[in-house]
Amino acid sequence: MSLIEVDNLSVTYSAKGRAVRAVQEVSLSVAHGESYGLVGESGSGKSTILRAICGLAPVSGGSIRIGGEEVPTPRGKRFASRVQMVFQDPYASLHPRHTIDSILSEPLAIHGMGDSDALVRRALSDVGLPANFRFRYPHQLSGGQRQRVAIARALMLAPPILLLDEPTSALDASVQAEVLNLLNRLRAERNLTFLMVSHDLAVIDHMCDRVLVMQHGRAVEELTRDALARAEMTTAYARSLFDASADRMLGAL
Amino acid sequence: MGALRAWLADPNPGSRRQARLGQWWLGWLRLRRNPLAMSGLLIVGALLLIAALAPWIAPHDPVTQDLSRRLLPPGTPGNWLGTDDFGRDILSRILYGARITLYIVSLVALTAPVLGLLMGTVAGYFGGWVDSVLMRITDIFLAFPRLILALALVAVLGPGIENAVLAIALTAWPPYARVARAETLTVRNSDYIAAVRLQGAGVARIIAGHVVPMCLPSVIIRVTLDMAGVILIAAGLGFLGLGVQPPMPEWGLMISSGRKYLFEQWWVSTMPGLAIFIVSLGFNLLGDGLRDVLDPKSAPK
Repeated sequence: MSLIEVDNLSVTYSAKGRAVRAVQEVSLSVAHGESYGLVGESGSGKSTILRAICGLAPVSGGSIRIGGEEVPTPRGKRFASRVQMVFQDPYASLHPRHTIDSILSEPLAIHGMGDSDALVRRALSDVGLPANFRFRYPHQLSGGQRQRVAIARALMLAPPILLLDEPTSALDASVQAEVLNLLNRLRAERNLTFLMVSHDLAVIDHMCDRVLVMQHGRAVEELTRDALARAEMTTAYARSLFDASADRMLGAL
Repeated sequence: MGALRAWLADPNPGSRRQARLGQWWLGWLRLRRNPLAMSGLLIVGALLLIAALAPWIAPHDPVTQDLSRRLLPPGTPGNWLGTDDFGRDILSRILYGARITLYIVSLVALTAPVLGLLMGTVAGYFGGWVDSVLMRITDIFLAFPRLILALALVAVLGPGIENAVLAIALTAWPPYARVARAETLTVRNSDYIAAVRLQGAGVARIIAGHVVPMCLPSVIIRVTLDMAGVILIAAGLGFLGLGVQPPMPEWGLMISSGRKYLFEQWWVSTMPGLAIFIVSLGFNLLGDGLRDVLDPKSAPK
């Protein structure tokens, strides 16, 4: 049984009286411990799928199941302790007036978990941040450090599933590699399941076992990592995406 | 003292308590660097001190009349700021009046912004029909001239300080609601609010813990800027016989009682007017300084 199952998901926004169909009948399933990628150009609906799973986008059709259960609306605390998300922009995802300590202890307070002092300390060291960052404000940190805080926050409740919305696209190349390696290490250590969005096939190739190529809100093609490495895509769109980033992928291999 | 200062200024605090006290200490240092804010603090501090010590520092009883010494000019020995039309010492009345002013100002400052923040953040956060209903109520309160609405309320509830405060608070909150709603609209769709919602937080927690801190600085600025207006409205109500009742030494009441003598005995109105001016100035300067302190982004790295 798959851990995450999305069946015929459609998301429709209404903007100025017009219906914008951001996602149309996309299905995917992610096994326990797997890392699954969503790739496509901007506006292809890949981030919207993550937001729909979290209840941040209006689902107009289809179903979302976590561990075989339909997700409730509103998502609630039980969902929160099973699925967490890392947002794209680390400059916008941390509260500017809260210290790192209060950002990290907030989920513990919401779920009534004690001993937040020790848990916050451990969370910081797990993502490779020095302990003296604890009482700083987000504006005193660099982009990469902020994203580490965001990852630490997502892992405070020890959820088995992490949704990653282009977690490195706002960072420069060297920091990008550090954060991706951190995510891979955490996945290995904690047996996490990743559902990751990126517009960069090189990042997906580095991180994911399987990848779904999306265009205009529809699924185009699903590829395994081996098929990606051997460039065995069947659709022209997936091939054009591959060609655009092939040289960097070969560099990474 | 040096050890305490080092403990407070430690860049790597060991506990939450130390970190919080350190933040307060940093805020105080930032406030202290701003000479205008410090003079504001000094004025507000002096007001507090005067209000607390009025019975001991006032040279005369503020309500005892002495008709043989009425309308004496400032500089008269024994009545350094002069006397009013009943021969009461103006200095003593101003010193005692600080108590009433402080009482009104602090009650209004505690109630109106809280109500405004609540209405504004709830309206902004929920949007939709909640927003429409709450903001139309706000519009109705805004549409009334403030003094007229306060008059109507006092007329219904009866004159007195408490009712005057209630009337002022009920007419003072709509601007705070507007400010808070505008700020809320800019933050409610931000990723950090989405993140805390995703952690399973309830609405009350999100609003109180995550939205209100973003609205507070602009509301605090408005509160301090409005303090002068609050003192004047209280004075206006007193002038119309609906607020503080004579012979209580309220500054606004004192100004209005000196109206008849404005040209010949100018000091009767001018002295309490100066007191209002100085206190309003103090609140404004302090408010500006507080805004800088409350914004951690302005903190030294």
